[in-house]
Amino acid sequence: MSSTKHAQNADVFQQNKEKATWHDNALWFVREKRDRISKTLPEWEELRALGEKIKLHSVSHLASYLEQFAANAEANGVIVHWAKDAEEHNAIATEILQKHNAKKVVKSKSMLTEECDLNHYLEAKGIEIIESDLGERILQLNGTAPSHIVLPAIHMKREEVGELFSEKLNTEKGNSDPTYLTRAARVSLRNDFLTADAAMTGVNFGIAATGEIVICTNEGNADMGTSLAKLHIASMGLEKLIPDYESLSVLTRLLARSATGQPTTTYTSHFRKPVEGGEFHIILVDNGRSDILSNEEHIKSLNCIRCGACMNTCPVYRRSGGYSYTYFIPGPIGINLGMLKDPVKHSENLSACSLCYSCNNVCPVKIDLADQIYKWRQDLDSLGKANSSKKLISTGMQFLFTHPALFRTSLKFSSLAKYAPRSLTFGLKEWEDGRSLPPFAKESFTEMWKKGKVKKK
Amino acid sequence: MKVGLFVPCYVNAVYPEVALASYKLLTHFGVDVDYPVDQTCCGQPMANAGFEGKALPLAKQFNDLFEEFDYIVAPSGSCAGFVKDTYPRLMEKEGCTSKVSGKVYDLCEFLYDILKVDKLPGKFPHKVSLHNSCHGLRELKLGSASELNIKPYSKVKALLNLVEGVKVVEPIRVDECCGFGGMFSIEEPAISIRMGNDRVNGHSDTEAEYITGADSSCLMHMGGIVDKNKMPIKMIHVVEILAAGL
Amino acid sequence: MSSKDYILNNIRRNTRQVFDKPQMDLNAIRFDDQLAQFIEISKAVGGDAVVLKEGEDINQVIRSLYPDAKEIASTVEGITLTTLNPDEVNSPKELEAVDLAIIEGSFGVCENGCIWLPQQIKHKALYFVTQYLVIVLDRSKLVNNMHEGYKLISPSEKGFGVYISGPSKTADIEQALVVGAHGPKGLTVILK
Repeated sequence: MSSTKHAQNADVFQQNKEKATWHDNALWFVREKRDRISKTLPEWEELRALGEKIKLHSVSHLASYLEQFAANAEANGVIVHWAKDAEEHNAIATEILQKHNAKKVVKSKSMLTEECDLNHYLEAKGIEIIESDLGERILQLNGTAPSHIVLPAIHMKREEVGELFSEKLNTEKGNSDPTYLTRAARVSLRNDFLTADAAMTGVNFGIAATGEIVICTNEGNADMGTSLAKLHIASMGLEKLIPDYESLSVLTRLLARSATGQPTTTYTSHFRKPVEGGEFHIILVDNGRSDILSNEEHIKSLNCIRCGACMNTCPVYRRSGGYSYTYFIPGPIGINLGMLKDPVKHSENLSACSLCYSCNNVCPVKIDLADQIYKWRQDLDSLGKANSSKKLISTGMQFLFTHPALFRTSLKFSSLAKYAPRSLTFGLKEWEDGRSLPPFAKESFTEMWKKGKVKKK
Repeated sequence: MKVGLFVPCYVNAVYPEVALASYKLLTHFGVDVDYPVDQTCCGQPMANAGFEGKALPLAKQFNDLFEEFDYIVAPSGSCAGFVKDTYPRLMEKEGCTSKVSGKVYDLCEFLYDILKVDKLPGKFPHKVSLHNSCHGLRELKLGSASELNIKPYSKVKALLNLVEGVKVVEPIRVDECCGFGGMFSIEEPAISIRMGNDRVNGHSDTEAEYITGADSSCLMHMGGIVDKNKMPIKMIHVVEILAAGL
Repeated sequence: MSSKDYILNNIRRNTRQVFDKPQMDLNAIRFDDQLAQFIEISKAVGGDAVVLKEGEDINQVIRSLYPDAKEIASTVEGITLTTLNPDEVNSPKELEAVDLAIIEGSFGVCENGCIWLPQQIKHKALYFVTQYLVIVLDRSKLVNNMHEGYKLISPSEKGFGVYISGPSKTADIEQALVVGAHGPKGLTVILK
């Protein structure tokens, strides 16, 4: 059976068995931390249910909340911009930076700016952009992309980071102690924070009632950047908007516990006004989000608060790594968001799911991730992206299974290996690479029944 | 009480002893069991692969065959879960109504919730490692999934503990997927086989003599790995243990 | 059409099912001994919390905790260790050499060690750029959880407020926890 891009990449990932095992364990460790901390709150499941309802409410009242948010933000002295797509977002950011003659920008972690491919855009305009989250900085120095939305460099071993830093930050060769390396990055990035002309951030939550944005970090990088530079540009996806503090209190309780198993992030920062003598811009970015609203089967994807819990629990993600997916967001939520972005381009991630449903259970806003993957699979045929052998097998199965007599006949002959087992046990070669085929019973249950061997006298 | 025994296609062909044990257990508790011989497959393999349309005629066929029963019972959480959760939506698309979804049960679920079994006659003096299958756990809620903060319970374990002599243990990562997933197992062979190996090793590390579970498909997958790697651990369906001595 | 109008129109056109705002009558976690819980959680998040005993001098306590701190910035009343008034510098960048900042928190949250800090000083940079941070908190000002916390907050006049829980940290290299990422390498809460 011709395999999908994900399956091919996953196969390569599994070639280094030791590293694949390490990757699986590193993420399982985070999943277990999440389990432990969620169980310290008796109200956890109610909290998830509230999180889901708050997001469904917010997304279904998006237009009015956006207007309220923008009006409040503007009253606070914030300059609010609206961007239809990634291109417009990047153009707005560039224009603001150029107006301020900003040559160097420090940026905190933002999946939205990854989505917009902002860094390359700015670099092409001669603006230097420094990632300030440690994981993101490691990847920037390495010239690679995040493999996880919360733990961007989770696929790299400390030795690889040590080697990279010795080359780029002049750390001691062979020293890969995480504390030593983190301190080296601290020194280097402090210099960047102090010399940057502007700070860019993402947004975790936008609060309609106050016009504030809230940013959650452990490192304090968003705060360092925005409190040392006069200019702050925050990029915010439309779906980040929630009504008020009451809603925020629910979602902040869910976010860090789900993401890393911490009771909270170190910093939960509320930005309402520009710093004294500075400017504060918020770019509201659509980039396809308003189209998702009409897609009732998949609208819940907009609930996502980007905690990454679905990745940590996904048995396929843990064993195949973030780079095995074609979309920049991997794992269960990434499979779904990729399909919403461009179904033809990203349909080959749909194989990366055994439908175990664990992701549904960890999602803090109860996105039905596995159900959505199942539903996307139903669309493959009409997209012209259905796997031809899978289709053939399914057609064969349908034929066999809608003809009970034929099915019974096939059950009688273990020699049906030529035909029915292909249906019953699917692709023989792929199966037999690592598993033996189960032998057929001498007599099927149906035969036993028909021969009267089952019923007690 | 009339019960229709639903024997998933691969159980029929590969594990008829599981179906036989199911029949014995149900009749032991005085249930009137019939087996519609024209049954084939519920359609889940095609639907999970993305061909719900091809599952639809099977759903209709299943509906016609099993409509007359008070309960429909299957020794497979996954197949029962598909009939229960997916049939209604699937059939609605064609303007039909599923008359079977509300009364389909996994066998363990049926013994525990409907028959409220609190005694079993047999003995099984062995250490078994319980495989908590995904669909039984997360769709049919046969037990508390490890991700949820709910009171821990396991209907399967409770039933097993009624059998004299059995010692039930569970592997690390107590309910991680075995990697079968129907077509997933051949579309993503590297990951599927790795998941299966990890799961089998987890069970094996408990030093149990058997891996047991309520879903034959997971047992088939893990059994294939055990056999390929010539591991000493044996596979047995929960129903076979519950029917010991019958 | 402006992008704003385009986006808002598209949202309105595409909105289908509408969901009401849920009732937030959650029975959230509460603690019998709030002080003990707050101290425990402050340690769990990588910081520390000490109770100022009757008759103890806060300056001596802080000095004994941070004997090597040279540049000490604070505007908190009663703090005499201060070597720098952070409100008297022109640029936040001048705060870079601060070893220890002593600030006052508004209330603490027992479930997660968060302390709410509405910006009270001229440059919020002090909270983050300092090598070590001491937060003075009235021990009677503890709430159980974030729901109670957010009920107490009104947007700060200076336009910034932050919940801080423990020192700055990261686990971006192999999930190994390192305290002191970009911000403070240590945080002590003094409960007075």
